[in-house]
Amino acid sequence: MTDVRVPEADPFDAAAQERDGRPPSPAAAAPGGLGLAGWLKWAWRQLTSMRIALVLLFLLAVGSVPGSILPQQGTDAAGVQQYYTSHPGLAPWLNHLGLFNVFAAPWFAAIYLLLFASLVGCVVPRTFRLVGSARSLPPRAPRHLTRLPHSAEYTVALGPQDAVQVAERALASHGFRLRRPADGGGSPDAGEPWVSAEKGYLREVGNLLFHLALLGVLVSVALGGLFGYKADRLLVQGSTFADTASQLDELYPGRLVSDADLGPFTITLNQFEASYIASGPQRGQPSSFDAQISYTARPGGPVGSYRLEVNRPLSVDGAKVYLIGHGYAPVFRVTDARGQVVYNAPTPFISGSSGNFLSEGVVKVPDAQPQQLGFTGIFVPTAVDVGGVLQSAFPAADNPVVSMIAYAGNLGMNSGPSQSVYQLDTAGMRRLTTSPQVLQVGQSLKLPGGQGTLTFTGYVPWVSLTITHDPGQIPALVCGIAALGGLLLSFMVRRRRVFVRARADSGGGSTVRVGGLTRTDASGGFEAEFASLADELRSAQRAAAAGQAAPQPGSEPGTEPDSEPDSGHSQHEGK
Amino acid sequence: MFRGKRRAVVLVAAVCTGALLAVVLLAGWASGGSSGVSYLDGNTNAVLYAAGHRPLAPDFTASTLTGSRLSFSSYRGRVVVLNFWGSWCVPCREEAPTLAVVAEQYQRAGVAFLGVDVRDTTASAEAFVRNFGVTYPSVSDSSSQITLAFTAAVPVSGTPTTLVVDRTGHIAGAVFGQATYSELTAMLAKVTGKTAG
Repeated sequence: MTDVRVPEADPFDAAAQERDGRPPSPAAAAPGGLGLAGWLKWAWRQLTSMRIALVLLFLLAVGSVPGSILPQQGTDAAGVQQYYTSHPGLAPWLNHLGLFNVFAAPWFAAIYLLLFASLVGCVVPRTFRLVGSARSLPPRAPRHLTRLPHSAEYTVALGPQDAVQVAERALASHGFRLRRPADGGGSPDAGEPWVSAEKGYLREVGNLLFHLALLGVLVSVALGGLFGYKADRLLVQGSTFADTASQLDELYPGRLVSDADLGPFTITLNQFEASYIASGPQRGQPSSFDAQISYTARPGGPVGSYRLEVNRPLSVDGAKVYLIGHGYAPVFRVTDARGQVVYNAPTPFISGSSGNFLSEGVVKVPDAQPQQLGFTGIFVPTAVDVGGVLQSAFPAADNPVVSMIAYAGNLGMNSGPSQSVYQLDTAGMRRLTTSPQVLQVGQSLKLPGGQGTLTFTGYVPWVSLTITHDPGQIPALVCGIAALGGLLLSFMVRRRRVFVRARADSGGGSTVRVGGLTRTDASGGFEAEFASLADELRSAQRAAAAGQAAPQPGSEPGTEPDSEPDSGHSQHEGK
Repeated sequence: MFRGKRRAVVLVAAVCTGALLAVVLLAGWASGGSSGVSYLDGNTNAVLYAAGHRPLAPDFTASTLTGSRLSFSSYRGRVVVLNFWGSWCVPCREEAPTLAVVAEQYQRAGVAFLGVDVRDTTASAEAFVRNFGVTYPSVSDSSSQITLAFTAAVPVSGTPTTLVVDRTGHIAGAVFGQATYSELTAMLAKVTGKTAG
């Protein structure tokens, strides 16, 4: 933020100048004994001060830190679970503070809304002030220009009126806005014409742009939170899903998103391929993933195909689809005691922490007769036996096996709460196999007592996709760029004023005094600009004097009829 | 003069903030209201659409679990109960016996029942149908296009969802979530003008 919120100390502020000579506002002093209105006004002024805005901005940044350090409910629910098990004492406290869902926490919203109010409270008055200052004229030229930080004095063989007129033209050509004695208030200084010039209004525009854009960033983020959504879907190779609530595994809609607002696109995973480094110290590290998908943006629309890779999302219908993970789905066929096929499907197994895609999963067969069947097990893509324990030596499926434990009984699926497809509730079930049964592709596990058969018929890959729709993304980017532009403008452009006075000399010429003033000269440069401007004024005046001397050698410049300085001059808009 | 201006500016800022909040709140408010919709016994999951406000059910053609092609438009002229289900879905399994009973009761009244099997495989779906004695046909929505098409008409946000489609092919009632016997029979009585027989 820049130095825009200090009107009291700002000699360039039109509004502040209007206040010159008035008693200071009581609200600016300590608020003691002011009553409710006074306190409210004081609080509002504090809230909209730059200091508080900076504190809030800082708090916003600090507040989002736990959002990136701690696992978040919305993006990583499993991580939160994990945190609970590893930090059983700390996790409930963090949860009370909303640190597992920072961006939805009330305190985060409070910071956000206060910052918003602070910016609105700053920008709205600022807009009025800018408009006021854009319409107001530069101040009258001070009497003693030599006291200004930059000044020059010289004599020219030109009458004071003419000298000032020449200066006006020169300044106007540089884009200065001018003020002459006749323009506003006060009597013309007897015998000493002057002109005030000011430029650099772009600084205020930059300032305003910065604040408006910052406001825009906040609005954009809010827009994303209200109208955006995020969803996850696990998709097995060869299957299709549509972006509707019932087809998604997880849906985190914004506050104003209804199910009908989801994009009507459909995605089919045709093929997924992953390759891994086969040797060297990097053995087992992925070298590439790519998912060949086909999609339609809307039902009946043209079918497009796309190669989805990590960091190469698909943009479809205003949403972005990211490839975020993959795994194996072993295909099982289960027949029940009556010999009927009651299950035949690829079943996604989820890789755990043991590495190399050793994955866990469950098979639920709720319609097996006479009893429901359930299986828990692991899928090992490259199985090796390490001291009687199955381990995976490589992430690619070079020697795929499954190892399954069978259960029979009540899966709990005919009533009660919905279940996770990755967990088997064995409370109502009886274990059928004493030890896990290892199966290779094509092998079967015969259940004891003729309860049925489980056959491991093969495996297919799956991918997990994250779908995000953030309508605030583009506006946030545009606003971010605008904020940067505004900031640069306000840093690089200076408000600067140049005053010119001319006093008649005894010899018919005049003494010209030029004074210059700039608000902040941190970046330097005004000194040189002023010097060159003063030089230019002098040479222009001398050229005019020479031109005047040639055609009309005897004329008296001081008594020229055209002495009304503002006639024929248009108002020059300051840049 | 200046203080007055300052006060006006503060006022404008406050009004702007207030207006923004109001817009956000109103946007939330407005999304709740619409006309022609009533709820069965005040249950917002059981929705009745008044005549003239009934969304048109989209047509579809799909394969049934037994492999034949079925076109939804062939049901035009009959009241149809369309049930979105999956063998993996706990409330679908819970409501399946109820649906089987109601289907049988309303068969004579000319009401057709049709299942839409969602996120399922043929083997599991067939086992479900056998297990619960479901006599009406189901189509497989393996490409999700039926769900998608109906979502545009009514918010089919999950399974189970049960829609009652009138004789003109318009959706007259919807149960989002597990349907009960009383909800189904009340809706069918309204749409067919007949009670269970």
